Amino acid sequence: MKYFLSILMATVFFCTVQAQQKTVVSEKKMVTVRGGNYKPFFISKSNRPVYVTSFRMDETPVTNAEYLIFVKSNPRWRRSKVNRLFADTNYLRHWKNDLEIGVSNKIIYNSPVVNVSWFAAQAYCKWKNKQLPTVAQWELAANGSPKDFKYKSLTDFILDWYTKPSPRVLPHVKSTYQNQYGLYDMHGLIWEWTFNFNSFAASPDSRRNGEDDFKNFCAGGAINVADKTDYAAYLRYGYRASLKGNYCISSLGFRCVKN
Amino acid sequence: MKIVIFVFFSIILFGCSDMSSKSAFVGEVARSTSMPVGTVSSESIYQLADTFQTQDNKKITLSYFMGKPTVVGMIFTHCPYACPRLTADIKDIEEKMNSKKGVNYLLVSFDSERDFPEQLKKFANSYGLNQNWTLLHGDENAVRTLSVLLNVQFQKDATGNFSHSNIISVLDKDGVLVFQKEGIDADPAETIGTLKQLLAKR
Repeated sequence: MKYFLSILMATVFFCTVQAQQKTVVSEKKMVTVRGGNYKPFFISKSNRPVYVTSFRMDETPVTNAEYLIFVKSNPRWRRSKVNRLFADTNYLRHWKNDLEIGVSNKIIYNSPVVNVSWFAAQAYCKWKNKQLPTVAQWELAANGSPKDFKYKSLTDFILDWYTKPSPRVLPHVKSTYQNQYGLYDMHGLIWEWTFNFNSFAASPDSRRNGEDDFKNFCAGGAINVADKTDYAAYLRYGYRASLKGNYCISSLGFRCVKN
Repeated sequence: MKIVIFVFFSIILFGCSDMSSKSAFVGEVARSTSMPVGTVSSESIYQLADTFQTQDNKKITLSYFMGKPTVVGMIFTHCPYACPRLTADIKDIEEKMNSKKGVNYLLVSFDSERDFPEQLKKFANSYGLNQNWTLLHGDENAVRTLSVLLNVQFQKDATGNFSHSNIISVLDKDGVLVFQKEGIDADPAETIGTLKQLLAKR
């Protein structure tokens, strides 16, 4: 019975702590990305530039501290409870346990949360009454010109980032650069989930068989791309195509948008 | 006693943490079905809580298909070439299965903006799809989530049509994905073999 009571107490305490914790992380700042034309990377007769209307986007990727609040409020997204269909075994593997990032990991509280699946990212954004950005939205936003930049071009900067191995400790959000929309870290920190990451990017139309186009993608895909010199974009599209919804990867996080 | 404490603890913990939860996205069986929560296998695609509409305007969740093996294809009805062929491939499987009942045949549309029940009904009639077939309309989120679960890639283009992979999936009676065949005009032998095995197990 003693145990019973102490557990009850612990639970009440836990609820209180949880309530307090909520007030610690302030509401995430969002900025407006002005509408504009998104030029699909793979060009074909039907795959022409589309106009993306203005939307609001999280200023930075979602952090570990922010994600912890979500996990606390949504038990099914705890590491030990999550369904394998929706997140693989790497889900939140860098955290100490279900409900603690870990004191020794204090350095990453304000770093982007990674090792989260597409389903987890979707659920988080929905919980915030937001959505994951579409590929078009993300690419439009990420194309924004950097403010105060020491690199020759954004592509140079991205390629330089690609050549570096992932850092052992992921830096904080806002540690790379800010772009014209006021967004931080669109490149240079992590890869980010998009709503339609599983888009059929390489197909010129709906008549072709899936397998053939994948071969094209790997072999001779250079024919119909928007900018043949944009090697960075190649990598992004290739990366997205290689993902599955339950994958959790140590360099892949997300941010949300509001339409 | 241990069990009682454990149960009590989980109830309180769950209850307290869940108060602020706004999300009923995945990992939870929709409450609209009569099935008790917990009967769905953890690998089941039927955990998807989203609602779809059938060609007969019935609102359902995917757990509706529970109890029989299900063959699934994703299509859109304005599709000029691939989707009619994928549909024909599944019809061919149905004929070769040589059984009127026992298997669900399911087509889910990519086209949330055009393929409403009425249009799906037209498509079903023009392809002579019988009562073993269900055609589903879902919102953009539901369709995308299902496509991710079924590893089907698709993208809407500027003309409103879709580029997509052509995959026939087989789910067991609990909604667990057990077999997939990619490509049009693919040899149906393995798909049929899988279905027969599933039917034998029941």
